[in-house]
Amino acid sequence: MADFRTEVFQNEFLSDGATDVHAIVTVTSSGAGSAVSSSGGVAEIVIIDTSGSMSGPNIDAAKYAAQVAVDQIADGTWFSIIGGSHVANRAFPYPNAPVAIVQMEPGAREEAKRAISYMRPSGGTAMSTWLRLADAIFAEVPQVAQKHAILLTDGRNESEPRAELSSAIYDVTGHFQCDARGVGSSWEVAELREIATALLGTVDLIRNPADIAADFKALVNESMSKGVADAELRVWAPQGAQVLFVRRVAPTVEDLTARRTEVNALTGAYPTGAWGDESRDYHVAVRVASKPVGSEQLAARVQIAVGGEVQASGLVKARWSDDSSLTARINPEVAHYTGQTELASVIQEGLAAKASGDEATATVKLGRAVQLAAETGNEEATSRLRRVVEIDDEEQGTVRLKRNTDKLDEMALDTASTKTTRVRR
Amino acid sequence: MTCAACGTIAEDGSTFCEHCGALLGAPAPAPVVVAAVPEPPEVPVCRACGGTIADDGYCESCGEKAVSERDHWSELPSALVGGVCDRGRRKSRNEDAMALALSGPTAVLVVCDGVSNVPDSDIASLTAARAARDVLVTGPAGSTVGAWSALLVTAAAAADQAIADAVGDTSARVEPPSCTFVAAVVDGPTVVAGWLGDSRVYWLPDEGDAHQVSVDDSAATEMIARGVPRATAEASREGHAITRWLGPDAETVVPGTGTTRAQGPGWVLACSDGLWNYCSAAADVADLVHRTVAQVGTAPDVVAAELVRWANEQGGHDNITAALARVAAPVDTVHTDETVPVDPVPPAS
Repeated sequence: MADFRTEVFQNEFLSDGATDVHAIVTVTSSGAGSAVSSSGGVAEIVIIDTSGSMSGPNIDAAKYAAQVAVDQIADGTWFSIIGGSHVANRAFPYPNAPVAIVQMEPGAREEAKRAISYMRPSGGTAMSTWLRLADAIFAEVPQVAQKHAILLTDGRNESEPRAELSSAIYDVTGHFQCDARGVGSSWEVAELREIATALLGTVDLIRNPADIAADFKALVNESMSKGVADAELRVWAPQGAQVLFVRRVAPTVEDLTARRTEVNALTGAYPTGAWGDESRDYHVAVRVASKPVGSEQLAARVQIAVGGEVQASGLVKARWSDDSSLTARINPEVAHYTGQTELASVIQEGLAAKASGDEATATVKLGRAVQLAAETGNEEATSRLRRVVEIDDEEQGTVRLKRNTDKLDEMALDTASTKTTRVRR
Repeated sequence: MTCAACGTIAEDGSTFCEHCGALLGAPAPAPVVVAAVPEPPEVPVCRACGGTIADDGYCESCGEKAVSERDHWSELPSALVGGVCDRGRRKSRNEDAMALALSGPTAVLVVCDGVSNVPDSDIASLTAARAARDVLVTGPAGSTVGAWSALLVTAAAAADQAIADAVGDTSARVEPPSCTFVAAVVDGPTVVAGWLGDSRVYWLPDEGDAHQVSVDDSAATEMIARGVPRATAEASREGHAITRWLGPDAETVVPGTGTTRAQGPGWVLACSDGLWNYCSAAADVADLVHRTVAQVGTAPDVVAAELVRWANEQGGHDNITAALARVAAPVDTVHTDETVPVDPVPPAS
């Protein structure tokens, strides 16, 4: 079992009458081991887009990547391969096989790679059917604690209404985790982001089909290294207090507020998925009733729990003071991640405005993004923004929209918008 | 001498008590009731909401920080004697202390206020208060005001010695730990007080004029003597400087003493400046206590708790101690109800 640690960064001093307490809680796990050795084992499903649009280098690269992924899946791991178009088809185990999912062993590996080589592109794209088939296959191995899928597409979800996809995502949420990848520039960032957000995975753009294999290899390796199948973040707040929000802010921004399930009247649990040896930051904001100057109270307990057992707890405090040298101080971690969260949303809003032809809004939003990226030292965001806007004044956030930008550059900016840099300490 | 049965002071040479008729001079096996500092309960309970305190030191339901026994406690050695000692809101620790007892019919209240922000002054104050109480419960050789006053001097010396024993060698310290001292013994209708510093004893009769039995050893007192109005003197920064105290750097540890005789029922209040800063004049203190009793009843620990809560509500800038002894009605006495200085007269400082 992994060791979890928490560290709390906040300014606990509040001025007279203040009610809102903000803290960044860093949760670090070590000694997580590997998923294969963990109790309950692991199941892995690779979903490849086999719609007609994939014809050409894309399908060849995707098939090759799926074969590389199969090579990475450790013996003993339950696995299955799905080809997805306007319907979903199980590619391996073969559709006529009596079981939908099998454990990896050398013979299965060779047969799965052969099955992948038979995949042919045709038809449309209805991702809801892909997710529902994966869900049904995972349901065959209820004893497996950790279930992970990789989904690769190159196009829009054009063969069904958007609501169909949303409804499928809703239905399978909590059953398995899923990393979503788009190759080329014809897919919709918002669609894959919706899948990855709900299913606690990542979304990313693969510019060049030749890079799919390396990405799949990394994803499978990462999945195999997650020794803690499922952990939840718990936030306790005192009687009468209100949890304003709970966000993961590193490595990427993800608002978890609406994902709350109740542990007890004062404690909510938020899903975090599987953990390897890693560190994540959470931004928790709680509104408490103001107390007289000199009072101290606990504003939140932020805990990480595995299998219902609390592994580590961080204390968020509130102390009211009339010493403005204490209360006026802004905690650097809180300020940093507040900026990074705003950065993610202004990039997305700016690109959406640009896409809809509202250049004025796009200019203001992307200008603010340039300013925030500079303030928070997010150089990667700055360099991605540079491909979309001409920066006149970084400090003031004065920019001009570039003409004839590469669609791939905009998509790269969009997919990476939630990636944060950590505070330099 | 004092009647062991009812506490009335009898004339020397009498055989029977004029008040209750009991045989005087009978060896009164007067039990000494010293309020034991209660053991912390097995599952600590939140002072604010009654919830459970978690292992992390905060309440599981309201988040209130658990208070240590040293930061807040209550004593109730008898139904007529009780008090509360509290950290207040602003100070990071409680440097006030109290020690209460009922010895036979005699109530003993001791309050010490550790000098702010000096290391170990919380240890000094508690050690001193308990040492003084332990001397006072032994009772004086005779039940005269003079004998009680002499015993108060002994008690202050014992308290000073106890501080020296507790804090060890302080020669290397810039500021050795020190504290104020105030003690009140309530022997029937006789109230005898001894003090060093600005912790106070008030006599608060149910009817008639209240007054302060102690006289602050403070710069404010000297300012008032020079004609500065009381409110101005007590509100001034320099007014709070005390001129006498207990501790290794004290010039003298002979307390000032004073006495008063109750003509009717009332309350004796010993308190630290954490309370009287918000309510200094005796008439105002009497109003406050009478109002409080009307609200919460006459249990002295409950009244004291309410006084502490009130002082916290006013800001709780300092540690707060309130200790009360009830002088029950009726008291049969022909003496006047006024404070008279008694020997030994404290050296002027």
